[in-house]
Amino acid sequence: MEKEIGIFLCNCGGGIKNIDFDAVREKLVQISDVAFVAVSSALCLEEGKGTIVSTIKDKGVEKVVIAACSPEFTEHTFGEVLEKAGLNRHLLAMANVREQCAWAHQGDVTKKAIQLIKMAVNRARLLQPVQKKELPINKDVLVIGGGFSGLNIALQLSRLGLRATVLEKEAVLGARLGEAESFSSCDMGPMISEVESDDNIEVLTSAQLVRIEGNVGNFSVRIQKAGEEIPRKYGAIVVATGYRTQLMASSEPDSGGKILSQAELCRMLAAQSLEKQPRTVGFIFDFADENSRFPTLATLDNALAAKEKWDSEVYVFCKSVKVDSKGAEKLYREARARGIVFLKCETPPKVLAKNGRVEIQAQDILMGEDTVFACDVLVAEQQILPAEDADILSSLLNVGRDSKGFYQDENVHLYPVALERKGIFVVGGCRGDLDGGRVLSDISSAVMSIYELLSPGKIVVDSEKVKANPQKCVACLTCFRVCPHSAIQLMRAENEKEVAQVADAACDACGICAAICPAKAISFEGYTDEQIVAQIEALGTS
Amino acid sequence: MSKEIVAFCCQHSAYPAADLAGKSGLRYAENVRIIRVPCAGRIDVIHILKAFEKGVAAVLVLGCEEGACHHITGNDRAKERVKYAEMLLKEVGADGGRVKMYNLSPNAPHKFVKILDEVSKKIADEEKQK
Repeated sequence: MEKEIGIFLCNCGGGIKNIDFDAVREKLVQISDVAFVAVSSALCLEEGKGTIVSTIKDKGVEKVVIAACSPEFTEHTFGEVLEKAGLNRHLLAMANVREQCAWAHQGDVTKKAIQLIKMAVNRARLLQPVQKKELPINKDVLVIGGGFSGLNIALQLSRLGLRATVLEKEAVLGARLGEAESFSSCDMGPMISEVESDDNIEVLTSAQLVRIEGNVGNFSVRIQKAGEEIPRKYGAIVVATGYRTQLMASSEPDSGGKILSQAELCRMLAAQSLEKQPRTVGFIFDFADENSRFPTLATLDNALAAKEKWDSEVYVFCKSVKVDSKGAEKLYREARARGIVFLKCETPPKVLAKNGRVEIQAQDILMGEDTVFACDVLVAEQQILPAEDADILSSLLNVGRDSKGFYQDENVHLYPVALERKGIFVVGGCRGDLDGGRVLSDISSAVMSIYELLSPGKIVVDSEKVKANPQKCVACLTCFRVCPHSAIQLMRAENEKEVAQVADAACDACGICAAICPAKAISFEGYTDEQIVAQIEALGTS
Repeated sequence: MSKEIVAFCCQHSAYPAADLAGKSGLRYAENVRIIRVPCAGRIDVIHILKAFEKGVAAVLVLGCEEGACHHITGNDRAKERVKYAEMLLKEVGADGGRVKMYNLSPNAPHKFVKILDEVSKKIADEEKQK
């Protein structure tokens, strides 16, 4: 048998004490296709790497097994070393004899180490090279939504030299911001004019996305504007479609303009003169969702403004006021100090219209009594909901939403702005109930991720690491349905039937398709069925 | 040497958790053999059955926490397949309880060790009864 496998053992500079490396070596050299077993004390240092390169070149092995620390730390490094030695980086199998063997057990673990290395040798035997390839990409960015987040992102990308198209479904930019919910929110005017005069930014109003194809770096989209479909190409897409608010149903639906939303109150506050200034103002919030950031901040802010501007009596009916926004505690304390009364109740108070005023019946938990207040105006509780067309857009983009309908559940692996489909980012209010600080950090994260992705002008991907065999594929579309990254497309193989094809750029190499394919047409190099089973075959033999 | 326990570990969660267990000096049964996979969803019924064919004591599939899978649905798919494998094992008269799916996060070495301790104890108890 040809001696094609070289094994390197590392004792981690003496950090692995309970493995007898000489015994391991003796056992391993007996494997028929192992060319050599080299023991070193620090493979990851420059000297060790040099030894690996020279030994591989010297002995002319084709596959390499390294038994050392966890591949989580060093697989990448050793892959580079293999490339230096003229081997493909995927022809490396690692055995984790440090974290998951020597350090995890007491006493001598030589036997376990031998078995782990044998498992790696079995896998190495079946490994095939995977080539890298470069794909040219488009450096333009599509920003869906012309609100605060969308405009901010477009401006920041423009400063970095990337062109952006802002897609706004309304006729003007920042349409929703006219109805600000928080009295001291920023003025969008200067930002809008800056966007409109920026040469790198194209603004398409009254327009919407109708079709999207392709993958990260090369999305082809169709935009509908004034009855026409405009085809465009982009490298990345940002979803910044914001949120909407809805008044929670109160017991009395209408009482002659006495029950308001935050935005309506803001308009009253901004008005130069009012017929009659409200002497008592009530707020209800906190009952629908205890950690609602935006309603909490808007309530505190508007309550302070009402106190300041009208010198009204302000009563806030709330549950517990616990919110994790920066500065919220300070606002709350300030509100208390200025004489705003917070009444904490377990259940939402009852609202009734009476004599041209609003009566609020609440059970104060501190006094344990039913209390009745009459207010001139009441700001009812508002819920933060995803934008109306979130379901249409998410199905167009083929990305998931959380239980409330916002984009991207707080998945720790994607957090904060990435979506499961590569090259699509999600920012701001469409991602959930966020406060201003979080929106700003979202914007920065997205700008950084996009710049990192697009600025080189190309992306380097593994070529055909996950591959569907056109002969075996029966186009049942199972893989197409299950792929979480939208990486599988249907292609017509040369004048033949349609078959599944994995897009290298979009693939995140999870192997879900390989496991689910009923025809076993999809192979995932590095983790093929044979390579996984080969590791199992090494069990029970030592 | 006692029979092995095969643990298919997702490289985004259980595998780093196992590394962390080793680094933190936590101890667990020596007969555990960890096979690194890119996602628990890569595991197919055949892999589980092959392991039993090889005579292992138990097969564990360890993936990301529910709702926090790196590949969104990988852990759910793995769960379904483990259930299916369990059904097949029962059908041929084997102990279906010897294949199990667990969810854990990459920073949960204690949970990793707890899972293995539980499984080892269960196997030891069952062996005693025989």
